Amino acid sequence: MREIGRFFSGFANRNGLPVAIYLLVAVSTWIFVLVILPQLTMFDFSFRHNLPPPKIGGPEDVHTLEQYRYFVMGNEITGGGVNTLDIAVLFKTLVAAVFVTIIDLAICYPVAYLLAQSSEGSAKRLLVLALIVPFWVNEILRAFAFRILFGATGVINGAGMQLGLWDAPIDFIGGNVALYAGLAYAYILLMIFPLYNAIESLDRNQIEAARDMGASWAQVHRRVVIPYAKPGIASGSTMVFMLTAGALAAPQILGGPSSLWFTQIIYQWFNSGGNWPRGSAYAVILLAICIMFVLLIMRVFKVSIGEIGR
Amino acid sequence: MTKDITLDHVSVSFGDYTAVDDAHLTIAGGEFFSFLGPSGCGKTTLLRCISGFQEPSWGEVRIGGKNMAGVGPNKRPTALIFQNLALFPLMSVADNIAFPLEVRGIDRKARRKRADELLELIALPGQGDKKVGELSGGQKQRVAIARALAVEPDILLLDEPLSALDLKLRQHMRRELRAIQQQVGLTFIYITHDQGEALTMSDRVAVMSRGKVEQVADPRTVYDQPASSFVASFVGENNALPGKVLESGDGRMVIDIGLAAPVTVAAGKGRGRKLKVGEACHVFVRPESVAINGDGDINRFNATVIREEFEGQVRHLIVKSGETELRVTQVGYGNGASGTGASVAMSFAPELAVPLPIGHLASA
Amino acid sequence: MSNLKAFPTGGLYLLLFFLYLFGPLAVMIVTAFNSSSFPRISPWECLTSDWFFKLFEDETLIAGLGNSFVIGIGVVLVAVPVGLAAAIVLSQVGPHLRSVIYAVFIAPILMPGVVIGLSTLIFWDRLGTFFGADYDSFFYSGMFLTIAGQVTFISAYSMLVFLSRLQRFDPTLTEAALDMGASQTQAFVKVLLPFMTPAILSASVLAFLASMENYNTTVFTIVAESTFTTVLAQKVRYGLDPSISAVAVIIVGITLVGAIIFENYNRLRTQKEARAAAASSVPPVARFATNPLVIIGFVLVCMIGFVTWVGTHDSSVCEANVEQMKRAYQQEQLEQQRNRTPATASEPAEQASPPANTGGGVFSPGNLAPGQPEQEEAPASPFGNVFAPENLQGGD
Repeated sequence: MREIGRFFSGFANRNGLPVAIYLLVAVSTWIFVLVILPQLTMFDFSFRHNLPPPKIGGPEDVHTLEQYRYFVMGNEITGGGVNTLDIAVLFKTLVAAVFVTIIDLAICYPVAYLLAQSSEGSAKRLLVLALIVPFWVNEILRAFAFRILFGATGVINGAGMQLGLWDAPIDFIGGNVALYAGLAYAYILLMIFPLYNAIESLDRNQIEAARDMGASWAQVHRRVVIPYAKPGIASGSTMVFMLTAGALAAPQILGGPSSLWFTQIIYQWFNSGGNWPRGSAYAVILLAICIMFVLLIMRVFKVSIGEIGR
Repeated sequence: MTKDITLDHVSVSFGDYTAVDDAHLTIAGGEFFSFLGPSGCGKTTLLRCISGFQEPSWGEVRIGGKNMAGVGPNKRPTALIFQNLALFPLMSVADNIAFPLEVRGIDRKARRKRADELLELIALPGQGDKKVGELSGGQKQRVAIARALAVEPDILLLDEPLSALDLKLRQHMRRELRAIQQQVGLTFIYITHDQGEALTMSDRVAVMSRGKVEQVADPRTVYDQPASSFVASFVGENNALPGKVLESGDGRMVIDIGLAAPVTVAAGKGRGRKLKVGEACHVFVRPESVAINGDGDINRFNATVIREEFEGQVRHLIVKSGETELRVTQVGYGNGASGTGASVAMSFAPELAVPLPIGHLASA
Repeated sequence: MSNLKAFPTGGLYLLLFFLYLFGPLAVMIVTAFNSSSFPRISPWECLTSDWFFKLFEDETLIAGLGNSFVIGIGVVLVAVPVGLAAAIVLSQVGPHLRSVIYAVFIAPILMPGVVIGLSTLIFWDRLGTFFGADYDSFFYSGMFLTIAGQVTFISAYSMLVFLSRLQRFDPTLTEAALDMGASQTQAFVKVLLPFMTPAILSASVLAFLASMENYNTTVFTIVAESTFTTVLAQKVRYGLDPSISAVAVIIVGITLVGAIIFENYNRLRTQKEARAAAASSVPPVARFATNPLVIIGFVLVCMIGFVTWVGTHDSSVCEANVEQMKRAYQQEQLEQQRNRTPATASEPAEQASPPANTGGGVFSPGNLAPGQPEQEEAPASPFGNVFAPENLQGGD
């Protein structure tokens, strides 16, 4: 306690009282009122029954595992069993997110390397600027563009049939091809920039030294560039995985009629389903999985959270 | 108006590490005072104690008799010139100089007038509207000084302000700083690791090592009569010859330093320390104090030249006699004798050798 | 390039990559100018600017844009100061505490937007219930909730911007100000804030754009109201319409212009610094063509040209022709069918043919192609305004 007191008096001394108050009020409001308390409330809410507003706070408003039980076991009425539907959706979402992350990593690593290690100053600046432009186009519009591309009468089907590659329009939307392509496209820049920043700071002499000592290009990448870019790879992979697993717009727009994304289930419980506690429970499950994923990445790549957030 | 600064048994420690160990001295008003020491000796910490960025762990800093404990840097009559100068890059030269006035709520016109006066003083008239980035290194230096002088502080603290300049400019700025100090009559406290700067500019020098103040004296005394083996080895070049006291008598000592015969050195009278018989010691002999082929009879010995270093105006000979190596400096070509392998006779006067008890030496 | 041998493959790869990056956007943009009521490139019907007008007449979208604007301003006003404070606090704590606090501050970026959105919704709903607030109080206001939800993670974005700027701040500047008698507040206002100004500007732009384009959080917190993005999502989900492509044209245009101006502003600044350097070696024409001011001027002229074109271009004649051809084609098909099976075909034929009253099978489908370019180049027809865009679409 005294330690904390000393910290605050030191903090006030250092910044002057008005600035110290601004700093502490701004930061603590943000962290407590906007981040921690809402998460705790959601966590608490996920352990409650779905009650009509008048009954909330009443005798029936007790803690329960009902919502989590539903996720695992399904509805009581339909009998015990396992809620294969929702679990399958979660599983599919995660697998797809990993898949999209790997695709993005594979596409972006060469791009980041080529851009970062090329020397032409102004051309390079322009290319990097060009990378940013699509990123500022609305997420919805990016998904819409893929809808146009992959539609039954879209450009790809048109071109494919024109060239005689296939006869009847292929249902890219139903087959989720459009969805995966759209997701990979939507978050590609969050993979490129961490990679680019990491590789750019690599001293080019190291690569040349490795070449000089007789390493092949594959060896240069495996032994020099990739180990150096590891924090960037971890950061990009985390961001892409998180955003893909948590995506809502792209699955809504590009997802086939039969396929669901886990976030869509949460959305349904909140809107049409009208069951907020259940939606909260599902959100807690999603959050827990995301946290585990970050921890896993940190473990696998042996990086700190600071390197991931960058 | 000048004020004395007293460091009253000041110590600063960070956890287990003692940065300043019991510094106790008084700096007179109007003095040009330097703290000289290698990096990490605690001189910058001491400066931060005086300017108020660091509170001493023990002891007091008094300025004009007033205890400064709890007085922030913005309330002390000191102005600090930072090692990197800390000029505000986004402000013009005049705005930089007038900044201390601006924060005291003085109006724009008066500020500008004072800035112009100061620009006059530092010989940069009419340059007030330039950006800081457009100035040369020496000009930035002078602007930093003008900025520090803007509110007429009692004490100017300078933290190695010349270290970023090249040699020629540095030498020029030494003279200029000294001239400004004499013109404004302020107390200057100067921090440096460069003994040339400390010796040329200062009225008095405090030599520091490992957090301790080893000696406080005027430059001549520090050079000729070092108070410790550290000072002797840090200030100027010196031969540190380990030895053992054989005789210790009236103003004289006979010490065996591994030459063919023991040497005689003067003791007391400010030169070195009087030591007991049998005590291990260092005898310091400056390279320029050794005469080659001189006519002195005392402390005469033969040595072989093992290396020669030519440096233009001076020439260094590294000679060996018995197991003892010595560095000898001669102006120009000196008294002939040269060439590796040559054998020469050398001598030094007893009063030019300084015997001191064993202590830590400055690392080369 | 670091490796000359790899250059052709590397260059090719980059080319393909940028094609992938811009191809979908380009296709989308082109569809905004096709009069076909479904967004597509082929078959090309008429060059039109009608979709832009349809956009401006869409009141829900305009209202959503207004809301987004208000929310964006609100987010900037809160998230930027919070981000600045967070960055400063982070720069002052010791290395041990720093990594812990950093993890907390960065967490909102890593959390799924959906989770942030609904936790915000629940929290303020609970709080409103706790205080017994009315349903029209801010606890239930979509605008307030959306600002709160977006600030949660956009603050962390702006913190990152400030942190990278703060790393280059020389703390001795603050010490120098203090030493010269400034109070801590003065040092903050006169030394640190001016240094942070560029970062404050870029964090503001970033925060505003992030707010404008956010969907995942907003879709939960906006409750009964709507923003630009949620309206757009609604439109996309319930039917594809080239006016959405027109939105894309406008957004891509603004982004491009912004990027070009930004790039040229930067170049202008570096040029100013090294003006004397390479001025002589470049031929005057090239120098003129690459002058940042010339480029910015050129971009502005293009924009004005585009807006005037949208305002004055009239495709109604072409569209009427296409309409006619379509009907004629249908008619022809019908007649063929009727000829083949005269008895059974008459019923569906009546259903399929709209109140067709224009002249019959004069145009065969083969005539379509040569007719088109003529129509495209046709200037605004004097009696164009007779055909309102809605009427034209109705006939499909």
